Amino acid sequence: MTQAEIKLCSLLLQEHFGEIVEKIGVHLIRTGSQPLRVIAHDTGTSLDQVKKALCVLIQHNLVIYQVHKRGVVEYEAQCSRVLRMLRYPRYIYTAKTLYSDTGELIVEELLLNGKMTMSAVVKKVADRLTETMEDGKTMDYAEVSNTFVRLADTHFVQRCPFVPATENSDPGPPPPAPTLVINEKDMYLVPKLSLIGKGKRRRSSDEDATGEPKAKRPKHTADNKEPIPDDGIYWQANLDRFHQHFRDQGIVSAVANRMDQTSSEIVRTMLRMSEITTPSNAPFTQPLSSNEIFRSLPVGYNISKQVLDQYLTLLADDPLEFVGKSGDSGGGMYVINLHKALGSLATATLESVVQERFGSRCARIFRLVLQKKHLEQKQVEDFAMIPAKEAKDMLYKMLSENFISLQEIPKTPDHAPSRTFYLYTVNILSAARMLLHRCYKSIANLIERRQFETKENKRLLEKSQRVEAIIASMQATGAEEAQLQEIEEMITAPERQQLETLKRNVNKLDASEIQVDETIFLLESYIESTMKRQ
Amino acid sequence: MAGNKGRGRAAYTFNIEAVGFSRGEKLPDVVLKPPPLFPDTDYKPVPLRTGEGEDYMLALKQELRETMKRMPYFMETPEEKQDIERYSKRYMKVYKEEWIPDWRRLPREMMPTKKCKKAGPKSKKAKVTGQGTSLTNPADVLKKIEELEKRGDGEKSDEENEEKEGSKEKSKEGDDDEEDDAAEQEEYDEEEQEEENDYINSYFEDGDDFGADSDDNMDEATY
Repeated sequence: MTQAEIKLCSLLLQEHFGEIVEKIGVHLIRTGSQPLRVIAHDTGTSLDQVKKALCVLIQHNLVIYQVHKRGVVEYEAQCSRVLRMLRYPRYIYTAKTLYSDTGELIVEELLLNGKMTMSAVVKKVADRLTETMEDGKTMDYAEVSNTFVRLADTHFVQRCPFVPATENSDPGPPPPAPTLVINEKDMYLVPKLSLIGKGKRRRSSDEDATGEPKAKRPKHTADNKEPIPDDGIYWQANLDRFHQHFRDQGIVSAVANRMDQTSSEIVRTMLRMSEITTPSNAPFTQPLSSNEIFRSLPVGYNISKQVLDQYLTLLADDPLEFVGKSGDSGGGMYVINLHKALGSLATATLESVVQERFGSRCARIFRLVLQKKHLEQKQVEDFAMIPAKEAKDMLYKMLSENFISLQEIPKTPDHAPSRTFYLYTVNILSAARMLLHRCYKSIANLIERRQFETKENKRLLEKSQRVEAIIASMQATGAEEAQLQEIEEMITAPERQQLETLKRNVNKLDASEIQVDETIFLLESYIESTMKRQ
Repeated sequence: MAGNKGRGRAAYTFNIEAVGFSRGEKLPDVVLKPPPLFPDTDYKPVPLRTGEGEDYMLALKQELRETMKRMPYFMETPEEKQDIERYSKRYMKVYKEEWIPDWRRLPREMMPTKKCKKAGPKSKKAKVTGQGTSLTNPADVLKKIEELEKRGDGEKSDEENEEKEGSKEKSKEGDDDEEDDAAEQEEYDEEEQEEENDYINSYFEDGDDFGADSDDNMDEATY
């Protein structure tokens, strides 16, 4: 784990779970797998708090445990899973586009709580949806259940490994920790539940009016003693499936940018057909025949078979090699080269970064070296048609930032510099890694700056929140316009200006985080796909 | 060697012209400090993407941040005691729902130890009797011996119930320190309670042995 990753994990954990969990989590990420007492001793926190923190982290799938010999249980943190927390808004938004509000809320609840039983999810989501509906309408549990089943069928949510029901045949003491198991076919099996009911609206105004102090309310709601029918069966969001979806989206939009809408639709159809048959980390999809593709095109598209064939030929001949032809039976067998597609996307990202950082002439040199693989200094100047001095300057700038690397080819065994060829080359994998590292640093900087800005203006923010609360309560009890006006004037005009600026800055920083995360996703997918092939 | 032209004169081992400098002496100055922290960039960054999806995700992100702070998983750091306790603080506390994890899925050492006062000596007893095969290291053994020496005579009868609970829930290693502390605290309390009244505890419990033991009690007057 690089320092940049650890710093980013630390910021994320602190924002989402507080300082104590952050301390434990970062310690585990730094030092690897450790037992409970060592963690408590090294971090200097009390055992009780370490236990609570570990419970929270395990609940959210950020830490796993393993029983080692002599009954010692060791805990290990999953750094990459912590970094996924940046992507939660994107997961939830994707669920919204695919399964509308119900699906969005289901995925949101699962991400916020780590793991939940199906009945708990359905109940919570129904309650939340009922809140937003008009008075008198409620959301039925059946509808939420249906959406849940659909999410499970398309593998967007999956079952967590569970404790196997042992018959306790061994007379020894029970193991210090349960071993959780799950097999492939059970992962998406929805238990047969008959969840009948409707969402409840939380009538907060009535309860407040009776004058009960707020402390009493949680006790009422936690009071249901009904047995849970699917006890022990927990569900979690399947992040890999979301990643597969993002990757498909990326490929389709790349094709749309490069060619046209119809070709992107064809590629989207091909990807949809391969969702179930191809594992997510395969280098290319299963071959699909042109006839099959024609049959599976979306209903609205009425292009003739011949036009489809022409498009497919065009796609297969494209130098980017997103689509490849693997045979001629069935009207032509076509595959999508997933690995090559990811490589192209990563390369495009690198080129774009070089262009934005160093200028378009540098970008030209970069693309040239990419294309020709190895070039000498003189050849670069000739091919790029850029004067020698400038070409050298640009090459050295890119070299110093590690976008380009040097390959030495000695002519003599003593590697004398005057008798060695120095060739410039681009190693895409290492450049992608370098860029990924910079992305982690960028996001860490963005988060720090946002926290700094918020802290600077903390007093002002609190004041504005108080004023808003006062206005809201006054409006609820019916107040005159003049009184509201007076309260609003408690915040002076320059303060309002300051608040506006703060809001704009925080929004910009947040939006930047989300968009840097998209780059991170691309680069990580490419690196992962490359590593799997080696 | 053959490459050594001109003794004492600097000679480059490579062709200087290949790097871009002519044979004159106009090499740039050596930079003696690290590069600046915020260097000037020639090219300004591209503006962010805007759109419906981006706006929605932004709102989601900010909402999630707020929601996470109110969830029971967010562990608040206990604040240091302030000089004056503000009256309003009592009413501004956000009441969070208590979250109980599913203990069946977690290692046994994760369960919290019961911190009630009477639990100390009970757990000691459970540890000593029930779990003779526990993994001990020398420090723990010494501590245990110390505790046993310090412990008083009588066990109150109403604490028997808690012993059973204690032995079920506690695990071997994870609770050593906690139990020691709890036990020490508990014993201190017992001693305090003993000091508050002049009666010795054994006076009431050992009803049958009253006559026999009275010779051993130092407070009784001896004739």
